[in-house]
Amino acid sequence: MDELPQQDDWQQWLDSHAPKFLLFARQQARCEADAQDLVQDAVVEACRRQLDGTPPPLALVFATIRRRAIDLARREDRRAGRELLAAESMPVAWFDTSVEQRERSQLIQDAMNRLPEIYRQVLTLKVWGGLTFGQIAEVTGVPANTAASRYRYGLVELRKLTGEVLA
Amino acid sequence: MNETDHELFEAELRKLKPARPPADLMARLLEAPKGVEAGQPAGASGSRAVGSSHVSISMLLRWLAGAAAATALVSLLLAVWQHPRKDAQHAKAAPVSRRNVPEAEDIEIDRQLVGLFDTVAKLPNGEPVRFRCREWADEVVLRDAARGLVIERRTPRLEVVPVGAETF
Repeated sequence: MDELPQQDDWQQWLDSHAPKFLLFARQQARCEADAQDLVQDAVVEACRRQLDGTPPPLALVFATIRRRAIDLARREDRRAGRELLAAESMPVAWFDTSVEQRERSQLIQDAMNRLPEIYRQVLTLKVWGGLTFGQIAEVTGVPANTAASRYRYGLVELRKLTGEVLA
Repeated sequence: MNETDHELFEAELRKLKPARPPADLMARLLEAPKGVEAGQPAGASGSRAVGSSHVSISMLLRWLAGAAAATALVSLLLAVWQHPRKDAQHAKAAPVSRRNVPEAEDIEIDRQLVGLFDTVAKLPNGEPVRFRCREWADEVVLRDAARGLVIERRTPRLEVVPVGAETF
């Protein structure tokens, strides 16, 4: 790395994007501590690949989170079930909400948890990650058209799961 | 769900903002570029040791590469050291084993017909069938005069051939 990003730029970049990364990581990991570690490791790894010192592309960080989450899940499969159950039982709010919106955000969080992972990933990356379908394709390793169709199916499924509350 | 519903629902979802990470994670992320410069992940002592997994994997791989090289070298040395020993042992052992093996000067192979008879049976449908039976004695005789050894082996063998009833 030839040059480090200016601290102010870096702070601004993190303020804008770290919540997206953590939201995505929370959906990939089995517990909050794992999710935070995934974000930290992915940001560090993505920074290391940026030779010009600029903040890394969002798609690269999301892709790194996903890859590391898969590695972590493989390792954790070997861990004792008791330990995992304890970790899974920690509730964390995915969204910043006002009191009025709390019920609605919880409803969406619950519905997202029930969505098949292939839809949840694409929805999160598109709606809250702000990625294009081309970038989502890079992150998830599927063609852009597939990502787009998964997004549409995902929206329909999420709508069904949340009922007519959001209509 | 039509296109308008689709967009409205999407807009509803976008209103929700992802939760801001906890302060300690933000602090660790702020240090990330410094950690990169130092050649190790920032906040490796962070929430858990999982953060340095890629470091431990690379160390493990390095250790495995070293161990594999050392094992290969030791195996090669053992193979080189064992090879002449095995040859020498084989050379010594060969005459001993050869001494116990009889050397046949004469081998006779013979067969004798010791019995011949026909028998008649009936198939389930009542049709008669005839069998021509021959009893043979196969014989092998091996002689080693130097050791005063004679080995003789006789094996009985029954040969059954079905023949048509009309040939009776």
